[in-house]
Formats: sequence, C-alpha cells, structure tokens
Amino acid sequence: MRHHSETARRLASATLSAALEAGAEQAEVIATAGTTALTRFAGNRIHQNVAESGTEISVRAVLGNSIGVASTNRTDDVSLADCCVAAVRAASVAPADNSFPGLPGPASVEIADRAAKATRSFDAEDRAKAVRTIVEHSRRHDLVAAGGIKVTDQGIAVVNSLGVDVAQDITGLRATALSMDEHEGGGSGWSSFVCADAGEFDAEKVGERAAFLALRSRYPRELPSGAYRVVLAPEAVADLVEFLGWLSFGAKPVHEGRSPLSDKIGEPIVSPLVTITDDATAADAMGLTFDFEGQPRSQVSLIETGVARGFVTDSYWAARLGTANTGHALPAPNSYGPLPLNLQMAPGDSTLEELIAQTERGVFVTRFHYVNVEDPVPVTLTGMTRDGTFLIEEGKLSHPLKNLRFTQSVIEALGNVVALTRDREYIGSETNPVLVPGMLVDGFNFTGQTR
Amino acid sequence: MRGCISAALDAATLAGASYVDARIVDTRSESISIANGRIEGVESSASFGLGVRVIANGSWGFAASATVTEAEAVHVARQAVAIAKASALCPGSKPVTLAPLDPVEAQWAGLCEIDPFDVPLADKLELLSSAEEGLRSEPAVKLTKADLGFQRTRKVFGSSEGAFIEQQHVESGAGLTAWVIADGEVLSRSYPNSHGGNWIQAGWEAIERLDLTGNAPRVAAEAAALLTAEPCPTGTYDIIIGSSQLALQVHESIGHPTELDRVLGDEAAFAGTSFLGLGDIGALRYGSSHVTVTADATVPGSIGSFGYDDEGVPAQRDHLIMNGLFTGFLTSRESAPEIDRTSNGCMRADGWNRIPLIRMTTVSLEPGDWELDDLIADTDRGILFDTNSSWSIDDRRLNFQFACETGWLIENGALTKMLKNPNYTGITPQFWNSCDAVCSDRHWQVWGIPNCGKGEPMQVAHVAHGAAPARFRGVEVGVGR
Repeated sequence: MRHHSETARRLASATLSAALEAGAEQAEVIATAGTTALTRFAGNRIHQNVAESGTEISVRAVLGNSIGVASTNRTDDVSLADCCVAAVRAASVAPADNSFPGLPGPASVEIADRAAKATRSFDAEDRAKAVRTIVEHSRRHDLVAAGGIKVTDQGIAVVNSLGVDVAQDITGLRATALSMDEHEGGGSGWSSFVCADAGEFDAEKVGERAAFLALRSRYPRELPSGAYRVVLAPEAVADLVEFLGWLSFGAKPVHEGRSPLSDKIGEPIVSPLVTITDDATAADAMGLTFDFEGQPRSQVSLIETGVARGFVTDSYWAARLGTANTGHALPAPNSYGPLPLNLQMAPGDSTLEELIAQTERGVFVTRFHYVNVEDPVPVTLTGMTRDGTFLIEEGKLSHPLKNLRFTQSVIEALGNVVALTRDREYIGSETNPVLVPGMLVDGFNFTGQTR
Repeated sequence: MRGCISAALDAATLAGASYVDARIVDTRSESISIANGRIEGVESSASFGLGVRVIANGSWGFAASATVTEAEAVHVARQAVAIAKASALCPGSKPVTLAPLDPVEAQWAGLCEIDPFDVPLADKLELLSSAEEGLRSEPAVKLTKADLGFQRTRKVFGSSEGAFIEQQHVESGAGLTAWVIADGEVLSRSYPNSHGGNWIQAGWEAIERLDLTGNAPRVAAEAAALLTAEPCPTGTYDIIIGSSQLALQVHESIGHPTELDRVLGDEAAFAGTSFLGLGDIGALRYGSSHVTVTADATVPGSIGSFGYDDEGVPAQRDHLIMNGLFTGFLTSRESAPEIDRTSNGCMRADGWNRIPLIRMTTVSLEPGDWELDDLIADTDRGILFDTNSSWSIDDRRLNFQFACETGWLIENGALTKMLKNPNYTGITPQFWNSCDAVCSDRHWQVWGIPNCGKGEPMQVAHVAHGAAPARFRGVEVGVGR
C-alpha cells in the first residue's frame, strides 16, 4: 500500500524544483496528503457522516532577506507552478527582514512509526458500528448520546533547498461521547479517547463512562461563588495545560514579556509538584517527530519541579535569541512563533479516588467549556464547567452541581497543586494531544454559576 | 463545472440517493501581517474542490475531493452514498426529510468596486507599513500588529431537485493593535475592532475608507493611556456597551442560541445546546421592549450576506426577537419543519470539503432612538465598555463573561476615569431584559466576524452583526479582580 508520505514527499520535491525555477534563492515546501473521515452522532443517531481526501502544498520563497508564502490544494503542474510564482512575487515585493537568518539546513531526524494499519482500515461501517455501541449505553438508560468518531490518515513532508528532506505518516482516532438526560432535572456526562492505533479503541468504555456520569448528574444544585479545593479530571487539566502552552512556552511571548516565564527562567514559578515538558520523541507520543521546517522536535523541559526551565524555539527565534533550535516551528507564516505541540505533565502518585478522599469540601470537575484568556501573563482564564461537576463532601462525591464559571490564573492554580494522579491520559486532537494526570488544587476561584 | 455537478447528481441518484446536492467552491485569499516593524507574513492561498451531499436510506452522507473532473465527481458521489448507507446503521426515529423549496437557476454577485486582487501587492504593503509605523509613534507602545486580508469565493451549486446557482463575492478586512506592557499586565487598543479588525463584503475601497494610517497614532495614544488607567471596580453597575462589543454580545447570546440545530441537539457534544426550546417561539420574553433582533442575509456590504445559502434557499430578512418577544430561529431545510416553517436560509459551509451547517447571517440588534451623549448624560453611575478582548459563554448560552480593552467610569452623567481590562458577566435573558435604551441608527454599524467556529471538523464562518451602543441596568462587573 502506498503511504501518503510518499505522495507528500514526491509533491514537495517537484514543487521545490518549481520554486527554484521561478526564481527563489531559497525555498521550503510543506506538503500534506491524506484522508480524514468523521462520523458525528446526536439524538442517538448518526446525523453527519463525512469523508475527504486532499493535498495541501505551502511554498516559502526567499529572495535575500525577503519572504513570500503561497499555498494551494491543486496539484497539477500548472497550479503548482502558479503557487511558486505567487510566493516568489510576494518575496520580491516584501520589505527585507534583516533578522531572518535564512532557512535551516538539514538535521538528523528520527522518524517514528506512528501510522497504524488498523486506523487506516477503520472505515465508515466501523465508525457506524462504534457509534451504535456508544449510543446503546445511553439509550438503555433513557439517555441521549451525541459525539463523534474522527479518523485521520496523513502523510506530511518538508523539503527545502538547503537539503532538508523529511516525511512521516501519522494516523489518529478521536472519539467523543456526551450523554444527556433530557428529563426534568437531568444532567450530562462526558468521555473521550484518542489514540494513533484504532486497535486500542474501546467504544464500550467510552459509551459506558459518559452514560455513568450523566446518570450521576441528575438534579444538580447551586453552589455559592468562592475559592474551593478542586479535583480536576485529566480532561479539565488538559485545558489549563494547553492554554499554558499557547501563551507561555514559546520563545516569542517569553521574549516579548507576555509570558509568566519572561525574566523568570531558573526561578520557581509554581508548585514543586509540577513538571511540564514537551516531548515529541516519547515512545507513546503522537504526531510528527519533526517541525514544519523539517528540524527534529527536541525534548524540552519547560517547568521542572516548579522551576521555569525553558521555552521552545524555531530557526528564527533560535538565531534571534542566540539559543538552540528546539524544532518547534509552525508552518510559515504565523503570528504565534514556535509552539510546543507534545506537552506532557509529569504524574504524581495518587489515584483520582485518593484525590477526592483528600477533599473535605470541594468540587470535582470533569471538563471545562469555552475557556478564554482574560490576562496572559498570569494566564488568567475564564470558562465554564460541564458534563459532570460534583460537590465533594467528606472525601466523597456528594451531589451534582449546576455548571460553574471560573476566573482563575493558571500560574496561581499550579502554585496551589496538592497532589497529582499516577495515571495520565492523552486528551485533545488525534494528532497532537497533551498527556496529563488528574490534579488536586486548593483555592480555585469559581466566580459564577449558570441556571 | 456544470458537467461535474451533473455527473455527481446523476451518479448519486443511480447509486440510490433520494436527494443530492453538489457544490464546487473556488476560493482565493491573500493576507499580509506586520508586527513590531517586521513583515510577519505575506501569503496567498487557493483552494478548489467539489463536495457532494446525499440522503440515502433516510440518512446523510457527504464526500469531497480536490480533484474536480467528471470521473472524480462520479467517484465522490458514490462514496457519499456509501457513507449515507453506513449512517443508516444507526438511524434516527424517522428518515431525513427536507422542507419544500422551489429550485432556481440563478446568479448572484456581492458588491465590489475595486477588486483587491488587482491592487499591486506593493501598494498594500505600503499602506499597512505606514499604519503600523504610526502605532510605533508612541514610545510606551511595546508591541504592534497590523493585518490586511482579502478573500474571493466563487461557488457553483446544483441539486437533484433542479437548482443550479452560481455566486461570487469578495471580502476585505484590516485591523491595527497596539500593546503596552507594565507590571505583568498586557493591555491593548485596536482599530477598527480587535481580533484582526473589521471585515466587509467589498473591495479595496473598503480598506481605503478605514483610514488606517490616520487612526494609528490615536490607537497608540489610547494604548499608552491604559498604563495609568484604573482597574475596573467590582460590583453591580449600569453599563453602556459600545457597538463592536455589543455585536459580539449579540453573536454569543442571541445568534448562537437561536441556531435551531443547537436547539435540536446536533451540536451538543462540541459547541453545546441552547437554553431555548421549540415552545419558546411567541412565548419567551427574551429581552425588554427595546430589544428587536433580525437575521438578514441581504444587508449590503455585510460578510453575512449572499444570494442563496448552501442549500439553494434565497437570502432573507427574518425577525428573531420582536420588541423583546422571541419569534423565531435560524433554520435549515431539515430543521425548519420542526417548527412548522420553511427554511429561512442559514445553511453555509466553510468550503468545498465541509457540509453546510446553520450559521448566522447578519444578526442585528435594531437601532433605538437615543443619542450616545444623551445616554451617557442619563446615567448616574455606570461604566462604558469598548472593544472586546475576551469572551466566554456556557454550553446552553446562558452564563457569559466578556472582557474589553477599555472602559470609562460614568459618574453623574459624565465619563470621568479610564478603566483598564474591564469585564462583566450575566445570564442571557436576564441581561437582555435589563436593556432600557438603544442608540439610534446614527450610531449603528455592521461588524464582520470572520472567525465564528462551529461544528466538527471545525468550520469557520463569516458572519456579521449590526449594533448601536445600548444600556443595561444592574450588571455585575469586575469579576475575579
């Protein structure tokens, strides 16, 4: 079977030649080829079922210190040539960027095998059967299920005129299940699962957990606003860590003074229980082992036992700051700078049940909803809880709560971590999830509640 | 293209589809970004492909391909039917049916005086560089950003019912932002709006009218002034919300909850549901008598406007709220029969490779009759909120919290002190029922929002909202401060 990475690499190489023929002094091409399929369900039936195949080509052309980028999804020779001409034309007009160090040269990249046969062959019928399994867990309890099963099979190639030539296949499956009790006083429950190999996917488990939480959430009560001890399930922790990654761990916000790590490298900024790294090379990591400049994604220590240790770079920010290129470039151009896409939070030594048992009075949060940034340096976020929020009393889940609004600095919350679970879960997209434990935190600020 | 559309319709019908529609979408876009005196990106992109949506065995199927040939159209159509038949393994209680529609053969084009793709790139760079330089005229400003973007979309739609529609439109957008940083606080001012500026269905002439260069020094000065602004007080205040922030308030707490697919649970797992029920039409007092809200896909120059939606339904103007009373939802051909109506034309897809979903058009708070100066003078103790910086709302669209770039304390009918990073929170119907004044059409403006996310895979829709400043009584402000 021909892998998508071969298609991507062939297209990238041909486009690179076209870019140089079009007059680029240096050129870089990112090519993505593959298929994505998604089966969505709601109201206990499949209501959306889609599949697409396609290719994306992005060309970065360099003339002196000027850069132009063009992209297309059309892969005929004429369209690729037009795309290259557009990139070169943009570079010919763009003012010079004297801080641009040139494209990076080739570096050794270990290409991990992250594409599974079982995922590639997980077709529309398999998705429908898995949905039926998930739905059945809700239907038998007179609940209504919604969610989706998404399967991705992609090949990505990055080549440049200095000799960078890397390609990798990745597959992923992400399943989500929301179970809702639509009767008076009804609540909802949630479960999700992400993996590279569809062989690991257990639809029974996903459906069962969502239905269990929905049943447990009936007749939610109110809770006054205030600071509470919270037990955050991994799904909730993932939201906090992802925002931290986006706002805090890239070279750009650190340099510009917009990150809690700005001028704090080497200093303690959160609890010694907190260690966060970015590691695309870990044995069970998902996604690419190289970045979108074709450089190896290195393991980077971001926070180690509470101390700010480092940030991620790409070729531009490494040169500008005089540090090593950690290999975390996003596709050019982008406003974010380099970002960590394989975040991992180190585990603790507790179980989720033990975290609950350590809580005299507090709140258990299954997941957050619609989180947004109010203040970037302390990473103050606001958002809601949903699909399984419970009061904890005397070390046990007592009764469900109406969804709560929080307004909370993540840095402050990570400073108040009491314990972490030893089990961690991958949460997020099927290509770049974060790996996080459950977390016990003191003084978490709930500032409102929905009706 | 007609041949490809016909090939897809015929192949899907032969394969067993009871309904088929096919869309070919050709999109071209260009963006320029300058930050801190450095070109951050000059990018052009093109996307072209075919999507085929079918009903077979009473269920939906969709497939798409970037290869637009008659042979590929046949392949994609058959794939869509196979997917629909797989969907039928987990069917609903009744087969999918669509509200009736008279199919049309039509063409439509949006307004555009000067095609931005004919304007030399050098001219665009010169304008944006000049504006961005103006932001750096103020020494206190530490970070700057200037964005410019254009998009041209051409769509061809055909259905097995006999519709064949060709449409094209151009959108243009631009924005400036200046940041100051002090004592761990990052504060910003933007023009004409935050999050990339304002987007208009028009050509280069819309960018020229913005006068980015002329406004840049003022934006920089306002950002610098935030360094000495006071924090937002905590408590309950009467608030006046400026036009662009109110547009986002309408978006989150009226636009999304009135999407009928959300009400029916189709987006429950991701974006959420709605506090509204089918029985609320004509019964729920959504807001005060000052609150009248329309959904209008015919507003000239709005990025929420079109000739026909992606089901071939003609653009319409419909009331969602009339003098405070909830009167209707945003609908599709599948959902409208649930409220015994036909579609009011809100189905749009984010490109050839996505299915259409119910999306806002131009959902607007209709103007009242107040002058802004009079409204401020009529407010004893309040806060004026201007330009969004953060937004969040619960999964049923009830509990919201917004933060703005700037605020002004109102004391005894006058603006007295600038406030930094103010926020406010509320519950949707309670909030809209506290509205006691809306400014006149002199202050009413349409704001384009080109980044409305919904659905899985995530689809980004271009929608818009008209709003004039309005006053709300007894709102909680300064949350979590």
